[in-house]
Amino acid sequence: MSNMLQPQIILLKEGTDTSQGKPQLISNINACMAVVDAVRTTLGPRGMDKLIHGDKGVTISNDGATIMKLLDIVHPAAKILVDIAKSQDSEVGDGTTTVVLLAGEFLREAKPFVEDGVHPQLIIRSFRAAVQLAVQKIKELAISIEGKSLEEKKSLLERCAATTLSSKLVGGEKEFFAKMVVDAVTQLGEESRLSMLGIKKVQGGTMRDSFLVNGVAFKKTFSYAGFEQQPKSFDNPKILLLNLELELKSEKENAEVRLSDPTQYQSIVDAEWNIIYDKLDKCVKSGAKIVLSRLAIGDLATQYFADRDVFCAGRVMEEDLHRVASATGGAVQTTVNNVVPEVLGICERFEEKQVGNERFNIFSGCPAGHTATIVLRGGADQFIEEAERSLHDAIMIVRRAYKNSTVVAGGGAIDMEISRYLRQHARTIAGKSQLFINSYAKALEVIPRQLCDNAGFDATDVLNKLRQKHALATGEGALFGVEINTGGIVDTFANFVWEPAVVKINALTAATEAACLILSVDETIRNPKSESAEGGGAGMGGRGRGRGMPGRGRGMRRR
Amino acid sequence: MALAFDEYGRPFIIIREQEQKSRVRGLDAQKANILAAKSVARILRTSLGPKGMDKMLQSSDGDVTITNDGATILEQMEVENQIGKLMVELSRSQDYEIGDGTTGVVVTAGALLEQAEVLLERGIHPIRVAEGYEMASKIAVDTLTKISTKFEYDIFNFEPLVQTCMTTLSSKIVGRCKRDLAEIAVKAVLAVADLDRRDVNLDLIKVEGKVGGRLEDTELVYGIVVDKDMSHPQMPKHIEDAKIAILTCPFEPPKPKTKHKVDIDSVEKFEALREQEKKYFDDMVQQCKDVGATLVICQWGFDDEANHLLMHRGLPAVRWVGGVELELIAIATGGRIVPRFQELTADKLGKAGLVREKSFGTTKDRMLYIEECANSKAVTIFIRGGNKMMIEETKRSVHDALCVARNLIRDNSIVYGGGSAEIAISLAVEAAADKIPGVEQYAMRAFADALDAVPMALAENSGLQPIDTLTAVKAQQVKENNPYLGIDCNDVGTNDMQQQNVFETLIGKKQQIQLATQVVKMILKIDDVITPSAF
Repeated sequence: MSNMLQPQIILLKEGTDTSQGKPQLISNINACMAVVDAVRTTLGPRGMDKLIHGDKGVTISNDGATIMKLLDIVHPAAKILVDIAKSQDSEVGDGTTTVVLLAGEFLREAKPFVEDGVHPQLIIRSFRAAVQLAVQKIKELAISIEGKSLEEKKSLLERCAATTLSSKLVGGEKEFFAKMVVDAVTQLGEESRLSMLGIKKVQGGTMRDSFLVNGVAFKKTFSYAGFEQQPKSFDNPKILLLNLELELKSEKENAEVRLSDPTQYQSIVDAEWNIIYDKLDKCVKSGAKIVLSRLAIGDLATQYFADRDVFCAGRVMEEDLHRVASATGGAVQTTVNNVVPEVLGICERFEEKQVGNERFNIFSGCPAGHTATIVLRGGADQFIEEAERSLHDAIMIVRRAYKNSTVVAGGGAIDMEISRYLRQHARTIAGKSQLFINSYAKALEVIPRQLCDNAGFDATDVLNKLRQKHALATGEGALFGVEINTGGIVDTFANFVWEPAVVKINALTAATEAACLILSVDETIRNPKSESAEGGGAGMGGRGRGRGMPGRGRGMRRR
Repeated sequence: MALAFDEYGRPFIIIREQEQKSRVRGLDAQKANILAAKSVARILRTSLGPKGMDKMLQSSDGDVTITNDGATILEQMEVENQIGKLMVELSRSQDYEIGDGTTGVVVTAGALLEQAEVLLERGIHPIRVAEGYEMASKIAVDTLTKISTKFEYDIFNFEPLVQTCMTTLSSKIVGRCKRDLAEIAVKAVLAVADLDRRDVNLDLIKVEGKVGGRLEDTELVYGIVVDKDMSHPQMPKHIEDAKIAILTCPFEPPKPKTKHKVDIDSVEKFEALREQEKKYFDDMVQQCKDVGATLVICQWGFDDEANHLLMHRGLPAVRWVGGVELELIAIATGGRIVPRFQELTADKLGKAGLVREKSFGTTKDRMLYIEECANSKAVTIFIRGGNKMMIEETKRSVHDALCVARNLIRDNSIVYGGGSAEIAISLAVEAAADKIPGVEQYAMRAFADALDAVPMALAENSGLQPIDTLTAVKAQQVKENNPYLGIDCNDVGTNDMQQQNVFETLIGKKQQIQLATQVVKMILKIDDVITPSAF
């Protein structure tokens, strides 16, 4: 208030909003808490879903990252939380709610200290120390599943997948989907890219009707008359993949033919026909029984192939075509000249099959492997969308665990154990740091507490039981977590509630980073332009449009 | 949105355009969602069963649809509410997968939600309710498999198939000639079915309709009916042992796709061009003649000149036949679609025993029948009826019947209808519920209660005392241990559905239960709804 006495020094453009110091820090923390509250209830097997109706349609989701993204948060500090959820999603694929929740809880614990006048940097330093200890401890506690036989490993991976899926809408069928995911990932092999795993969605049927194709499957493409006369199933067919139009068309754009002699007319017509017939002939001569092209295959070609018992599909999606190529060992050709047998793909069985209301082309038994397709079924569009997101999480987890196979006990067990360890450690420290590490330890308890809250149990009661178990000097209680069905505690490891260690490590580090970042900010300067764009909803926020097409859920990003 | 204020008393703007979004959370959200779903279900309730009523729907451009088919009603209603939309998709899924039972699935889902609401009010966690429903639906599906029966059929004895289709048709407006239509549907499906692979491609069955005549005049044509006539009025209307050339090229001089220009600078050249054009027509007709075609079916139109020439040479022709029909004709007659006159050979011609043009009533409408085809794997159901709405509704009903027949060919298990299956499941679930510890027990009981909704609605729609009738049948089922007892909608005198011959497919029923449970679970799991408040 002292500046009332002296002339104000105008440093920034008029309308610029600045706020600084402790109140700013507190207000940032409050904003983050509000965001955390939005995803809080989605944690765990008893977590609820959110229905978000945006301009891109409706999404029903349980996935932290998806919800955060769709909330379209503009608050600058709260945006950091969105970013860590995204980074968790792209790094490990699962635990997106966990990471947001943890960051929020760290901030909540730090708030009273800040209010009491502790310098934020001190808190930050202690938090950083704490996270290092925590990660070390996780690594110690993690149990490796390396060196087991493939069969054994598979069943272990299935458990990890099942834990991830249990909180999702498809949780009722988690064993079914866990097996499917693990099969798909093992099919892909060690070095595979995620793009080789296709997920196709067909409305209708129940979840249980979903199936895994050991190869590639895609929807019947647009077809011309004559298509129905082609054979629809082959054993051991050769497959020709093209990126070429097979249609009667002008060969060169903007070219013009001038005739002075009308009798020459027929020769031009013939020449054009010959070009296309030559192409088609080469396709058939190559010995291929299936011709796929990314570009159109016209009616003429369709009928030509039908005459020669060849199956064709035009306008195949590029990703599908690439998947077929890598599955069957073929190569995509841009010309039909010099088609050598090596570039033809091969698979054991090709079939066109009715799935729900759609017809699907299914290539199975591919020799080169490394591809799999999951065909998802479900009662409603949103349902399948959410199932896809859930499966994506599970796939990421399994892939992670497959490469980096250490697991920890889930259900809050690992969090409780780290919390106990940090409390113990804190006592050995003299100075303020003791308090901060203690509160960090307390923040970790949010995971089991939220699990209980969401399930409608008495969180305090369960938490006390857990603390007692974990405090046992023998260490036998280290694996105890929340028993979600009855509201007691249980050895979650023995009950196969497993999470890959990397999920936890990443979640802790990311959450701590975010918390530290928010704590270290003491001033926000917002220039007037962005202020009006955010606040002035009535003024048709020009920025909202200018941002271009925001992605459609997570399906888009993964091409 | 829940507002948070900072130290200066200003609200946080956390979410873009925060003030314009409305948010409902917790129990309120669930209740609002349930209410929306229930109101959708309530609309369909009166359409259930043989005595169900129809709905008249007027679209935004004034088209009127009268129907009894759940999926169609919901589709045309253009539901705006998000949860309502889920119900629409639910019935659409049932339609895609099974084709029948689209009303039943929505009514079941509505009843499940109604029961769930009571439980939620008591403070039971929604997920526990959903899990209880899930367990109950597993028991329900097991029970259905247990009470299902298989029946044998073959090409010559398709009576059971007809019976099942009749059950489907009985609830429709066409119920009065359900016997005829059911037979037509079954025969059509059997004609195109691949009995070894147990696969039916419904694309091969064409359903064509024309206003006029009576519903009883509806017929099954082992061949194709095209809504076209001969290109020239003087061409023969009746061709026996037709050899058909199926062309996708027009009767006109070919045009190169490349831009072209013919420079005419002298009279001779012009004459030559004219000559050549004439020759093209001549050659084309001659080529058709040469390979022995007696009928030309063309995807495109042709010049009057060509038309005249065809007439002159005694070669009947049909023009402007659509791609899909062309394909069906090719399949039915065993011919090949020919893209170019030069490619025309005798073995590419399709063969049909009889091609005739039929005119209807006093109108000038004519249709082309292609019958006694070489390969009867493509058939047409030709529907007649008093008005357009009637024909559209008949088409939908026949589609349902076709789907039922197809499902039976895929899997020949059936359960008995008339609500008997629902009552049996309800009893089984209730019995199983007592053995489950925990809150799920309540949910399972609620599931059992909800299943009563279907027989209850059946009874109500038939003008019976719903509760009296239902309790009587239920008691009888338990007493006689006979899961085939249902609601006697038609007042036949017995409520044994085995004697009444009321069947439904097992997969259809299973799907209904599973889909309804799935969607209900999804709705129950939502505890937070964020919408732009414009809605």
